[in-house]
Amino acid sequence: MNDLDDDTLICRCEEVSLGEIREAIDRGATTLPELRRRTRAGMGLCQGRTCGTLVAQIIARRTGKSLEEILPATSRPPVRSVTVQELGGKGKCSPKKRT
Amino acid sequence: MLPEKADVVIIGGGVIGASIAYHLAQRGVTPVLIERWGICSATSASCDGFVFMQSKRPGIHLELAMESARRFATLEAELGRSFEYEACGGMIVIEGEDEVPAMETYVQEQRNIGLEVTLLTGAEARRREPALSQGIVGATWSPRDCQVNPMLLTFGLIDRARELGARICTEREVTAIERGGSAWFVETQGGEIRTPFVVNAAGPFAPAIGRMAGIDIPITPRRGQLLVTETLPPLIGSIFLSARYIAAKFDPDLATEAGEGISIEQTASGSLILGSTREFVGYDTGVTAEGIGTIAARTAGVIPRLEEVHIIRSFAGLRPYTASGLPFLGFVDGLEGFIMAAGHEGDGIALAPATGHLMAQLITTGRTDIPLDSFALNP
Repeated sequence: MNDLDDDTLICRCEEVSLGEIREAIDRGATTLPELRRRTRAGMGLCQGRTCGTLVAQIIARRTGKSLEEILPATSRPPVRSVTVQELGGKGKCSPKKRT
Repeated sequence: MLPEKADVVIIGGGVIGASIAYHLAQRGVTPVLIERWGICSATSASCDGFVFMQSKRPGIHLELAMESARRFATLEAELGRSFEYEACGGMIVIEGEDEVPAMETYVQEQRNIGLEVTLLTGAEARRREPALSQGIVGATWSPRDCQVNPMLLTFGLIDRARELGARICTEREVTAIERGGSAWFVETQGGEIRTPFVVNAAGPFAPAIGRMAGIDIPITPRRGQLLVTETLPPLIGSIFLSARYIAAKFDPDLATEAGEGISIEQTASGSLILGSTREFVGYDTGVTAEGIGTIAARTAGVIPRLEEVHIIRSFAGLRPYTASGLPFLGFVDGLEGFIMAAGHEGDGIALAPATGHLMAQLITTGRTDIPLDSFALNP
């Protein structure tokens, strides 16, 4: 990963590049949620299901933290996107409660 | 590592703590900010980006908001960073004829204090915002309402504060606060700091900090659940609240009667943020099927096009609620050097620039541009 170009796209949903992720880490983002809030990586349609592990690896390499410390990121229902109508309808969705 | 002493210790790395840190650093005072988790990791990361003037109670509350709005207009240039500030204007949509008289009075009071706001008919509102439902009977409109990205705002303030010399310590919890001689001693797991000024900017967690200093702070966490949609081309131009939200905000009895009111914004990314519930459930930040369903049904009632739009995420945040609807700001009687800056409920983002400015002014000069009497905590 070290020889990859800063222009390499890591989060395809939100078009976040490796360079942007490296910069955010250098500003102090050492967790997936903070990286998401600073760069939008993982905020798009797939909610980080595609890029999450990759982003965690980038954080791990740059900060020396272990992958176990970094994963998993917070996820919130719905797990697959659904329409507003489906949600406002009659009990079609039963999201898990998080604490 | 924590330094042994500091000019000021700020507890809380949300938008309020970040704004105070920046405004102090700008005046040449370098604070130490202590945050239990990460910067912008709780309330400020789980809210909408409204800088709504119209939702503030006419009087000192609105005055404070208008001071904030003036500061927002130049803050991106000051920080040298974008936080997606949009002078987009805002609407309060009226869904029932019975809400019109109350909104007429509300608009008149706001105009009296100098806020530019007009009452539109349903047709006029739809001309401005064609996505609005035919069922909307009217709306108030103000070009003064605006929108920001709360996370980029908080990080922008923190990053700039750090560049100006502020020390930002994250993943460090305050365990005790003690008065010794003419100083405060703030204890954390990683060491103790001596300081003349402690600022409690812990939002919904401010009461726990207060207990360490021996005072009772009447702030209650109020949960707001929100939904995020897929990105869309521009669907709405302004930010929306419902008149029922205004009613619910100022009269909890009405909230039960009239339902919870809604908030809708489209962010710079194209996603819409749909909100919000207003629940007293302690410190539980979970989302519920009922809350999600209510928001989906209510927002689609205002913008019918939303029915076909996909929701990609839900989240909930805790707002620091106070009975008066006003934050606690300033010194606390009997606790020299202890400063409150918490209890903004859903207005923390909107009021952050004014709060940061006033607290920095209070600490460095002992005086403030806006009198803080109405915001005093009298334990």
